[in-house]
Amino acid sequence: MSIEYIISMITNNWPMFLRGAGMTLLISIIGTIFGSVIGLLAGVIRTIPTPERKLKRVVLKIVNLILSVYIEFFRGTPMIVQAMVIFYGSALAFGIDMDRTMAAIFIVSINTGAYMAEIVRGGVISIDKGQFEAAQAIGMNHVQTMWSVVLPQVIRNILPATGNQFIINIKDTSVLNVIGVTELYFQAKTVAGISFKYFEPFFIACILYFVMTFTVTLILRYIERKLDGPENYSMIGQPPP
Amino acid sequence: MGNVIEVQHLSKSFGNHEVLRDIDFSVNKGEVICIIGSSGSGKSTLLRCINLLEKPSGGQIIYHGENILDEKHDIHAYRKKLGMVFQQFNLFNNHNALNNCMVGQVKVLKRSKEDAEKIALKYLKVVGMDHYVNAKPKQLSGGQKQRVAIARALSMEPDVMLFDEPTSALDPEMVGEVLKVMKELASTGLTMLIVTHEMEFAREVADRVVFMDKGVIAEEGPPEQIFNHPREERTKAFLKRTLS
Ligand SMILES: Nc1ncnc2c1ncn2[C@@H]1O[C@H](COP(=O)(O)OP(=O)(O)O)[C@@H](O)[C@H]1O
Ligand SMILES: [Mg+2]
Repeated sequence: MSIEYIISMITNNWPMFLRGAGMTLLISIIGTIFGSVIGLLAGVIRTIPTPERKLKRVVLKIVNLILSVYIEFFRGTPMIVQAMVIFYGSALAFGIDMDRTMAAIFIVSINTGAYMAEIVRGGVISIDKGQFEAAQAIGMNHVQTMWSVVLPQVIRNILPATGNQFIINIKDTSVLNVIGVTELYFQAKTVAGISFKYFEPFFIACILYFVMTFTVTLILRYIERKLDGPENYSMIGQPPP
Repeated sequence: MGNVIEVQHLSKSFGNHEVLRDIDFSVNKGEVICIIGSSGSGKSTLLRCINLLEKPSGGQIIYHGENILDEKHDIHAYRKKLGMVFQQFNLFNNHNALNNCMVGQVKVLKRSKEDAEKIALKYLKVVGMDHYVNAKPKQLSGGQKQRVAIARALSMEPDVMLFDEPTSALDPEMVGEVLKVMKELASTGLTMLIVTHEMEFAREVADRVVFMDKGVIAEEGPPEQIFNHPREERTKAFLKRTLS
């Protein structure tokens, strides 16, 4: 093993590593976005106050029950096992031959959704009750209150947790090699198989994973600063002394 | 004519704790009513029942002749006709001063952005905060926040303004600026229902003072009566405690 060997391994195999890293990024980006949308929806539904009408109350209860089952199930089982069950199960049960990439995105999305639902719920609960009351007092309904007042604050507050989830997704897509998704780990394994070298390809993969996760960290910090806006505000004219 | 809100036999319990009992009173158009009483007597709860932030346990609230506690009544349509100013301001943290005054107009009243901005600026000027349109709540002092909160409520151009101890969370030097704004509003003929501990203010602006004690209205009348010639022993005792 030497630096030269690693460099020659990169120069000989870079398209494979790059495609692997690209696939990893694709799955984790789309998975995180879809997952966040699912999480937001689920989190918002789970924080709807108990309605007055009996029918609405029953419907909400059933929906909440379904969401709980979804969240607990996907949080409570390993993604690597879910991947096998969903990919081979869909073939067995419905005779669908899922596209591997689609299956990967699907699995990452619903997993992220399950985690994000709880993060969003926590975010909504932590918003001061006065914010809801002020919105209600000017006549906003639940959707308007959520959309204009609560969710913008929740999204800002859960951004660090969302970034965390994104980073976890970049790393955890590696388990999807079990259903033959050609992400970074899969590609490193392939290069290892061809070259009969193990340290070097995985070392390269390791560096690439870190570059991806660290870049995401930096980008999210930047977005957080942007969302917070300027420290100061500009006065319009001069107030009286 | 003139009767905007009429509260009849209103009661409210939290669990087995009866907080309001058989409250009867009405708000006339253009009237300024101050509600006084010791802490825990149910003043906030009464105000919150009136705009349905709390669900009354019994009785009726008649608004322009309609019982708004009726199942079929549109709560949101009713609430937008009442402005509410909270002790803790409750400005929307994600919006600057201008947007705090616009978001309700745009979303609830469906006004255009241009109209909403014009109206918001008009009321921000009334409360002396038009220079601070770009400031976020966390960049404002307590008194400034409360003035923006008043402008937010006024921007909805409500029938009645409800104030729940608007100066109680303020540092003493900021109380004056908020009371000054409220006095100006009172002189414009706005209908106002104000829970307050500021007795001088109540004496000066109120057309009618309501004294609450242990969940009931113990006495009500013009400020002259309540402050100078209270008829009830409870009122006398309360005033002695607070004014000394
Ligand atoms: N959400 C609530 N749950 C239970 N008790 C409450 C609640 N809000 C108020 N109370 C009780 O109702 C009584 C009246 O409260 P409140 O209306 O806030 O009084 P005031 O505004 O006059 O100080 C108090 O004893 C208080 O503890
Ligand atoms: Mg109170």
